[in-house]
Parts: sequence; C-alpha cells; structure tokens
Amino acid sequence: MIRPELVCPAGTPAALKSAVDAGADCVYVGFRDETNARNFPGLNFSRKELEEGIAYAHARGAKVLVAINTFPRAGYPDLWHRAVDDSARLGADAVILADIGLIDYAARTHPELRLHLSVQAAASNPQSIGFYAGNFGVRRVVLPRVLTVPEIAAINGAVAPVETEVFVFGGLCVMAEGRCALSSYATGQSPNMNGVCSPASHVRYVESGRGVTSQLAGFTINQFGLNEPAGYPTLCKGRFNANGKTSYLFEEPTSLNTLTMLPDLIKAGVTAFKIEGRQRGRAYVAAVVQAFRAGIDAVMDGRPLPATDLDSITEGGRQTTGAYEKAWR
Amino acid sequence: MTPPFSPVLLLGLALRPVRPVLLQPVFDAMLRLVRSRHPDILERLEAYGDRIVCIDPVDLPFALLLEPDPEQPRLTVRRYVDACEVHATIRGPLETLIALAEGKVDGDALFFSRQLVVEGDTEVVVALRNAIDGAGIDLVADLASTLGPLANPAQRAATGVLDLLSSLRGSVETVRQALIAPAMHNAAARDARLAELEDEVKALRKAARRGTSR
Repeated sequence: MIRPELVCPAGTPAALKSAVDAGADCVYVGFRDETNARNFPGLNFSRKELEEGIAYAHARGAKVLVAINTFPRAGYPDLWHRAVDDSARLGADAVILADIGLIDYAARTHPELRLHLSVQAAASNPQSIGFYAGNFGVRRVVLPRVLTVPEIAAINGAVAPVETEVFVFGGLCVMAEGRCALSSYATGQSPNMNGVCSPASHVRYVESGRGVTSQLAGFTINQFGLNEPAGYPTLCKGRFNANGKTSYLFEEPTSLNTLTMLPDLIKAGVTAFKIEGRQRGRAYVAAVVQAFRAGIDAVMDGRPLPATDLDSITEGGRQTTGAYEKAWR
Repeated sequence: MTPPFSPVLLLGLALRPVRPVLLQPVFDAMLRLVRSRHPDILERLEAYGDRIVCIDPVDLPFALLLEPDPEQPRLTVRRYVDACEVHATIRGPLETLIALAEGKVDGDALFFSRQLVVEGDTEVVVALRNAIDGAGIDLVADLASTLGPLANPAQRAATGVLDLLSSLRGSVETVRQALIAPAMHNAAARDARLAELEDEVKALRKAARRGTSR
C-alpha cells in the first residue's frame, strides 16, 4: 500500500507554517497575481515569501508546490512564464499547471522541474493522462472531482507510474473544472483566466430583518433566513426560482469530506490527498490538516479512523462525499 | 446583530459614559504597534489604501474606522458611524473579532454560521481578513513586547486576566439564565399549547377527510 502524501493549502506564509506544523507532507501555494486560481484580494505569496516558505517547509521535511494553474491570456504569456521560471529558481518541489502551452514551456525550459497537472486541465481518463505524461513528462495528475473510487482505481492501474492526486476535503465545483464560464457570465472574470470565481469585488451581502441576501454583480444569488447557515454567492451554488419552485439548481452550499473513505482511496492506489482552501484562514488549515493527518496515519497503522468534527468549517454546515460515491445514481 | 450576554457586554455598559476621544490614544498605540510588528499587513492592503472599513464590536459602545493607507494608516474610535461614510462594515462580538484577528477561527466559517456580519465592499473585507490572518498576530504577546524587560510578567498578567474573563463567562451565563427564565417558561407554555392546537387541527382535518369520502 502506498503511503499517500497529504497536500495542504496555504494562502499566506502564516498558513504555510500552520500546515507544515500540523503535519502536511506538501503545501501548495500561488503567486500574488492572476497566474493561480485563487487570485483573491490580500492573498498569496511574493517571491520573497515563497523563498522563505520553501526554506521553512524543507527544514521540516515538507515540500512546496506552486500552482500556476490559470490559462495565459492570448499574446501575454510572460507573466505565466516568469511564474514557472521563479518557481524553479526558488527551489519549488513541483509546479501545478493546467495550460498545455505553459506545460510545454516548463518542460522545455526547466527539464529538471517536476510537473503536476492541475485539476483545471480536467484530465479524467488514461488516454488524456498518458498524453500529458508521454509528451511533457508530467509526473502527477490531480483528478477532476467527477470520478468514483472504482474509476480512480482503474485509472491508477492504467497510468502507473504516473501518480494521481485527489481532493479529499473542501469546496466543490460543478463538474466541468477548467471549463466553467458561469462566473464570467455574471462578472466578466473567471477562475480559468483571472484566477477568481465570483470575485469578491462583485459580491455584496445585504442584511435585513429577515436574514441576509447574497448578490453577485447585482444578481441575487441566494437569501438565507435569520439562523440559516450562509454560503458564498457563486452562481453554481445559487438558490433560484424555476418552474414555480425555489431550489438549488446546480449544487448546494456544501463541503467535500472524504475522511471516512480514506481506506478505500488508499486501496485505490492514490498517491496524494489534496485539501482545498487556499482562500481559507489558518484555523481552517490547521483543523483540516490535523484531522486528515490523523486519519491517514490511522489507516496506515491499521487503527480505526479517529472521530473528528469538521462541521463548523464546512460551507453551509453540510458535508458530502461528492462524486466518489455518486449516491445520486 | 444582537450582542451576546457576556463579560464584554457588561464591560461595554461600564464604558458607555467614556468619551471615545479618551480611548483614541490606546488605539493609536495599537496601530503603531501593529505597523512595526506586522508591516506585511499594510503591504497586502496596498491596493485598498483609500477604503474605510468599520469594525463594529456589537457588545461595545463604540466602533473603529480603519483606513489602511500604507503611508498614513488610521484607526479612529467613534461612538456612531454612518453607513455612508464607510466602504464596508465587519460586525461581531469583540471576542469573535479578536479570535479572528489572531487566526484562531476561520473567517469564512464565522460568516457561514452567521456569527459575523459583513456589509458593503466585500473585496476590501476579504483583503483585510487575508492580510490579518496571514500576519500571525498574537495580541497579548504583541502588546507585552512593548514593555521591554516587563514583557514576560505583563504577558503572564494579561493571560491571567483573559483566564479570569473566561471563568466569568460561566457566571454571566448563570445570570443570563436567571434573567430569561420567566420568558423561557412562558415560551415553553406557548410551545406546549401550540403543539396541542396542531394536534387538534390534524384530528379535525382527518375527521373532515373521512366525512368527505363518505
């Protein structure tokens, strides 16, 4: 059985330290610009902070991966190329890329740099994965959140020695990662090109005596009652009126939590478990990393999974195992 | 947002007669301290230097206006704040706001669970939250550090005060329970009566359906 790596998010140097101290094997980060899919205000790393973060992690036996996982603007690839060059120069353990042109640049310019394929590339079958591995030497693929555990096991059997990484906790996207244009329709900005889904600059919360209304670019996305758990107004998690009924049309505000599925995912041959949430605070990072560190260690040592309570940090106060079980089938 | 019944709320009542201008030097000193110990906060907020954020501890009789101008930041104590004069407002109990500033709780989780209210320009609020969370602030240690050789005793004393406040929370909760006991009793009686009426309505509906089907 492979001992899976725990890959943890960090939006700031303090979060990186929290993740490493809590038991992360790897921490993934992004630069403070549109080259990564969490280009949020006040978040991310300067070059100096990345250098210091890498030194901190390496001194404690942890790795640092740099997400450069947006798609370069046509005719302006320099910002993305610089991000790859600087990651290599500063000693990042791998870069996580989505765009095929950028992957080609990284493979040719920095042949020693380890390449991971971002979930944004949406490679979900052995042929697609084989293409990236065969042509560019991609070593690991982050699988889209559309696959069941048996499907993941089959992919692992077919693509070895290419490693796979799966999300185990955090926010969920609807099923076409890297191809979603919902945010663009409302705001003109998307995670794919600008690194922001439903950017905070377009978000407003309006309080009233009946609760809170969340808006995105002037569109009402949801209304929450006085004591109802709230959520961020991404379009895919909006509650809309259709055919005389008010409901979540795409997806409910909920967080992925696969803690109880760790034994199955380990048996399926997954190399790395990824926690989503570079935009979340240090408290979130520490709590989730500790829970999954304890979970993985328990499974590997043949002990029962420890009881954990991550309810308070989930979106909408709810959790799901998402597509891994496809319980809706 | 209704403030929770807590030691801080009682402290707030005691502070009500104090004019905000008398508290201003304390917050000026706090801002100077944060600037010197955590310069990266203002660096991360560089793009938002012209925005004004109201930080409103709902259990205290004043609010703070933060202007994160990198060259000349200001933290002003105000009794009243008009929504028109600020770009955004963050509202919550003082203990929650301090825990958030120290990164002990997750801002999103607080917002999702409605323990924190955000209004206005969400972008500057998110930037502020990220900048502060990323700074690794420890308010007690930061304040104690200004006292030079007295830092360690001061930190121990401050920790003692916080422990005392924490232990007072149980006593305050007992007082709260005693104060609301009559209202809770009335509410329980109303709930019971409501349940009886619901049962009666169900029985009558059932009887009416039986009568219709005959």
